[in-house]
Amino acid sequence: MSNRRTRISRRTLLQGVGVAMALPWLESLPVWGEATPTNDAVAPKFPQRFAALFMGNGINSQHWWANGAGAEMELSRSLAPLEPVKTKLNVIQGLFNKQATGVGIHPGQTGNILSGAALQKGAVLRGGVSIDQVLGQHWSEDTAVPSLVLGCEQPITGYHETNFSMAYSSHISWLDANSPVPMEVYPSLAFDSLFDNQGSQRATSILDRVKDHAEHVKRQVSRADQAKLNEYFASVRDVERQISRTRTDKDKAEARAENRGRSLASMPRPDNGLPEDLRDHMRLMTDIIAMAFQTDKTRVATLLLCRDLSGLIYPFLDVRTAHHPASHDDESEAYERISRYHVSQLAYLAQRLDAMPEGDRTVLDNSCLMFLSNMWSGSRHDSSKVPLLLVGGLGSTLPTGRTLDFTGQEDGDRKLCSLYLSLAERMNLKLKQFGDADAPLSGL
Amino acid sequence: MIDRGLFGIALGCSLLCVHGTVGADEPALTAAFEKSVQPFLKSYCLSCHGLEKQEAKLDLSGATSVAAVVQQHQIWNEVLTRLTAKDMPPETSTKQPTEQERSAIIAWIKALQQHEAERNAGDPGPVLARRLSHAEYNNAIRDLTGFDLRPTQEFPVDPANEAGFDNSGESLTMSPALLKKYLAAARRVAEHLAFQPDGLSFAPHPMISETDRDKFCVQRIVAFYERHRVDLADYFEAAAHFRQHQGKPGVTLETVATARQLSPKYLTTIWTALNTAEALDPLAELQAEWQTILVEPEPTAVRQRCEKLRDLVLRRRQKLVVPVEKLHMKGNSDGSQPLVLWWNREQAAQRMRSAAKSDSPELDAARNRFCRVFPDAFAVSSRGHYADAKLGAQVRLLTAGFHLMQGYFRDDAPLCELVLSDTQRQEIDRLWQELNFITLAPHRQYKDFLFFERAEPPRFAGGPEFDFARPEDKSVTTAAMLNRMKDAYLAKSKRMGASDAILGAVETYFDQMLADTRWIEQRQVAAGPIHLDAVLALAERAYRRPLSDDERQDLRAFYHQARDQERLSHEDAIRDTLATILLSPHFCYRFDQAAEGTAARPLTDYELASRLSFFLWSSLPDAELLKLAAAEQLHEPSVLAAQAHRMLRDARVRGLASEFLGNWLGFRRFEDHTGVDRDRFATFTNELRDAMAEEPQRFFIDLVQRDGSMFDLLEAHHTFVNPVLARHYGMTIPATRSEEWVRVDNAAHYGRGGILPMAVFLTKNSPGLRTSPVQRGYWVVRRVLGEHIPPPPPTVPELPKDEAELGELTLPQLLARHRDHVACAACHQRFDSIGLVFEGYGPIGEQRKHDLGGKPVHVQAVFPDGTERSGLNGLRRYLTEVRRDEYVETLCRKLLTFALGRSLLLSDNATIELMQTNLRRDENRIGSLVETIVTSPQFLKKRGRDDPRP
Repeated sequence: MSNRRTRISRRTLLQGVGVAMALPWLESLPVWGEATPTNDAVAPKFPQRFAALFMGNGINSQHWWANGAGAEMELSRSLAPLEPVKTKLNVIQGLFNKQATGVGIHPGQTGNILSGAALQKGAVLRGGVSIDQVLGQHWSEDTAVPSLVLGCEQPITGYHETNFSMAYSSHISWLDANSPVPMEVYPSLAFDSLFDNQGSQRATSILDRVKDHAEHVKRQVSRADQAKLNEYFASVRDVERQISRTRTDKDKAEARAENRGRSLASMPRPDNGLPEDLRDHMRLMTDIIAMAFQTDKTRVATLLLCRDLSGLIYPFLDVRTAHHPASHDDESEAYERISRYHVSQLAYLAQRLDAMPEGDRTVLDNSCLMFLSNMWSGSRHDSSKVPLLLVGGLGSTLPTGRTLDFTGQEDGDRKLCSLYLSLAERMNLKLKQFGDADAPLSGL
Repeated sequence: MIDRGLFGIALGCSLLCVHGTVGADEPALTAAFEKSVQPFLKSYCLSCHGLEKQEAKLDLSGATSVAAVVQQHQIWNEVLTRLTAKDMPPETSTKQPTEQERSAIIAWIKALQQHEAERNAGDPGPVLARRLSHAEYNNAIRDLTGFDLRPTQEFPVDPANEAGFDNSGESLTMSPALLKKYLAAARRVAEHLAFQPDGLSFAPHPMISETDRDKFCVQRIVAFYERHRVDLADYFEAAAHFRQHQGKPGVTLETVATARQLSPKYLTTIWTALNTAEALDPLAELQAEWQTILVEPEPTAVRQRCEKLRDLVLRRRQKLVVPVEKLHMKGNSDGSQPLVLWWNREQAAQRMRSAAKSDSPELDAARNRFCRVFPDAFAVSSRGHYADAKLGAQVRLLTAGFHLMQGYFRDDAPLCELVLSDTQRQEIDRLWQELNFITLAPHRQYKDFLFFERAEPPRFAGGPEFDFARPEDKSVTTAAMLNRMKDAYLAKSKRMGASDAILGAVETYFDQMLADTRWIEQRQVAAGPIHLDAVLALAERAYRRPLSDDERQDLRAFYHQARDQERLSHEDAIRDTLATILLSPHFCYRFDQAAEGTAARPLTDYELASRLSFFLWSSLPDAELLKLAAAEQLHEPSVLAAQAHRMLRDARVRGLASEFLGNWLGFRRFEDHTGVDRDRFATFTNELRDAMAEEPQRFFIDLVQRDGSMFDLLEAHHTFVNPVLARHYGMTIPATRSEEWVRVDNAAHYGRGGILPMAVFLTKNSPGLRTSPVQRGYWVVRRVLGEHIPPPPPTVPELPKDEAELGELTLPQLLARHRDHVACAACHQRFDSIGLVFEGYGPIGEQRKHDLGGKPVHVQAVFPDGTERSGLNGLRRYLTEVRRDEYVETLCRKLLTFALGRSLLLSDNATIELMQTNLRRDENRIGSLVETIVTSPQFLKKRGRDDPRP
């Protein structure tokens, strides 16, 4: 535990490379607008978090199943990495995205996986806002960064033969109908984006500067005009205070935590450049999400482990074929290893969050990690149902340790967007409608 | 008549303590106030309009001194009106003043008004600092960015001042909640920045995503090609025209081409080809055909023949296209970038050549001559799959034709060589360079290449020797990495037995990639300071004046701090600098620096430029105004007047139409009007609603731009309609595009013309399922004539909501009953009748003969002057004959209030009078009003910092 010794200012951290940093987030620390610790009898309200981990081109369906419930749950080979957290797992089978069917293979099956929107072919992109961005907006006032949008594979933007842009294969997070959210591929830059140089700090810098302008102007105008400009000045100061409040509270929480000698999560700033090994790359990206969730820098993240039509290569799995061609033999042992490898990223993130206490539970208990792919079978390009896993109880709003199978139900009763509506509702965001759904998923 | 007579006598003997009205001094006014005015108030007014009761929300108990009356001069003007009209005290009152008492008070108020006006003559008044109204902010952003981004669309509505305008410091306030919206808006606007090698520009959409940047750059290029699309028939027609008029003065190929917006260069080429003797086909065939066109007498026939000739050329040309075989490479896909690009280049190189098809060198040469004039394509904006323009939004644009991979290919050599002027050619060159620079197309194309070659079958670069190059790695496009890849790729190509052509294609590919990526990176370095300068230039436009050295330093320091301390990217730092500019009070506030002391000072030329532009455009000054300000010429009266007239002709005068006219006549935010029952009135669609709101603006813009008479607003027999509004009005107009507006001269034939019968007012002043003569009449007297009508008492009997539920009575009969009610009569007789003449128009302004209850409508009414009048024409005559002066004065007062951005003072009366005088001199032209205002002392000066006046 060398954290206390090595703790240095963020500024230094941002300039340095590979320095361990510690950012605590502790259960007893009230941070939502209160300056003093709450009475123990009042249950602290912890933030809920949501992450989506995406893997393109489907899984090996022969090895994707679970039986039973809770501690007795039996997991198939591809799901085995989740064994340690299976009581916090929901295996959900049979959901689908209507707009991703019947439109041709690949990009049309992908770009709307988090939005449920119909996609437009050709030169002009058109889809819909994705659920992670809706949630990010929902909490945008509460966190430094509304959402993290990360990827382990470069987006591409050419055309598929279906005349859908490859941008649909590369982006699951969409800001609005026209624009995908730019994705960060470099761990070092993703790390930086969480800290002071983003979001609220930028707003504060702007406000600081215009406050100076107003001061300057006030000296040159009549008394009556000064009164009008004071209105402006006071508004600027007020907004500044609002913005810094959250940050100050968190800084205080950090200081108190340190004084009490609690165990702290720590993560060195990743090196500049791209990690040579894909395993390191994915590990760093999941670490960043874990740290961001623990420190409440953001509550929403998406991680594109690999895109649709992926070109990733997995020599460490003894597979020399690239991901997409490998998916055309999706029932092979090799593709099972690829599928399992991606699930192990989810398992790793879940376990990291589960090791972070928050109240009498863990950060994982207050989160919902969603893992999904755009196809059930890569060889058949089958999107009539999608593989989907949920880990975490989302602040006791979501029972876990279950296997839910919607296969064979009416199409209207197994919509992905209904699941998103249900999850949003549990995060206190009541939406009348999202994507193609206007009712939550019954039976969740 | 008797009343008037008495009134005249009363005025005549209204000497009292005021010796004449002119030159009354303060002690005299005070003495009269104490001796006559206060007792009068006490006897006749305060029992209803005092501390205990405030009938019509009027409280006169504050009038304890002359100064207090001056401060409430607007209320006292109303007192004057009521006393003069003998509305007050009401007939029902038991205590009535004598005529002499009444006249004395009237004379006193007038004397006080005049005294105040003269004492403060030319006072610029208290013009408060204020933020831009939402409309002004939107317009300013539009003029800064070139796109109507409307960042304040979702903001809460701005409150209006007493005169009904939302452009004064009296009503415009700032709050933290609003400031947050301003911050968000500023940052959103900054996201539209396009970072070009030579400066900054804006896009109509955010430029954060790669795909948005692609869209922006590609659409500009495609639009260029669209603008310069060549239709050979146009050129043949121009050539025929030239041939016919050849020899006349001023007729050259150059002038003919320019007049038809064709390329003089290409017309000359075609002319030469048509007129240089040619023995061999296809040119010989073409020339023979051409000769027969020249004898056609009818222009339409000529056009048809030219189109036929064009089709002939295209058919002949099609047969001569040079076929280019693709390269095939062992172990590699035909879709590999080096191979596809080679094929594209080869095709592009053949566009002005003929396929060698014959054994005769002479014939081949002739065909080549033909193909040099008629390329197989001028510019290719889509290729490969999905190239058909019929796909609309689904067509692929400018693509190189790769599968999965992003890549653009420029193929427009014939257009550049044959058609474009040097300037045009530079423009398209620049657009292509900007595509590369803004979208980083080469870098992205190369990363896609790496993905494709390494991952997609047949995975030419799938071997371990290529493992060093990962598409995710930003450093793959460094020279070292590119060269390493080139060597490895060439080595494998040679191993696979690639031909020299293929090796050449591969080599060219990597060399070109290296050159393109280097060019971008060098220009990126060079562009940094250019962008910073450009953002400072934007600040000058936003602040409406040159920056001081300190301000320059300040903005530069902000940028560098963002870069160095907050480690923002160059683009983010520039965006935040712009956001700072847009949130700065220098941009989003209007204020003029005050001189020390109490004396007013003339506005600087820059301040004047802003005053003018916010008055006439509700937006920023343009380059011409700023240039005149810089030259310190703007304040010269002749320059000011000339600029005002120029600005009135400019399209931005729409700002005046929407902000001045819209607020004056109360149709702004008609898009929020929800008073129409759309089940009963199915024709009331959003399109019709928008067209209704647009009609008065079109009318006013036209009026202002042609400097017409301000009486046109009331009297005109024309109006403007688009197809949806024309349908609503039952007008037959020439078929036009749905968004197109046309002037209808015989609108009177359809019961329209001028503002009075415009559907927007008739609809806005109807409560849904019936008309409201009350609201309509009230609208006329209050808005158009500026009458002050007190609010109705709380105990008003309600009218049924639906005409169909009126029972046996008609609406006029019901209203007549209403007027029997004493509490209502005093006011309602002033406007009910005026509203009744609109009964020929239903709740959404549609013409009608029967109301919704099926009863015939009556449009006759007895007007306030005792005459019976009928319909729209009756009202028009009444307004222009009986109420003419009130209309003129109202318009003058409203326009001056709007121009100054404050409520009017008594001292403004001289300017109001001058406006009226000049207006008569200038045949009622609206420009006369504007000219008088912008040369008035109020407009040109700013009060001193320590001016004690309120």
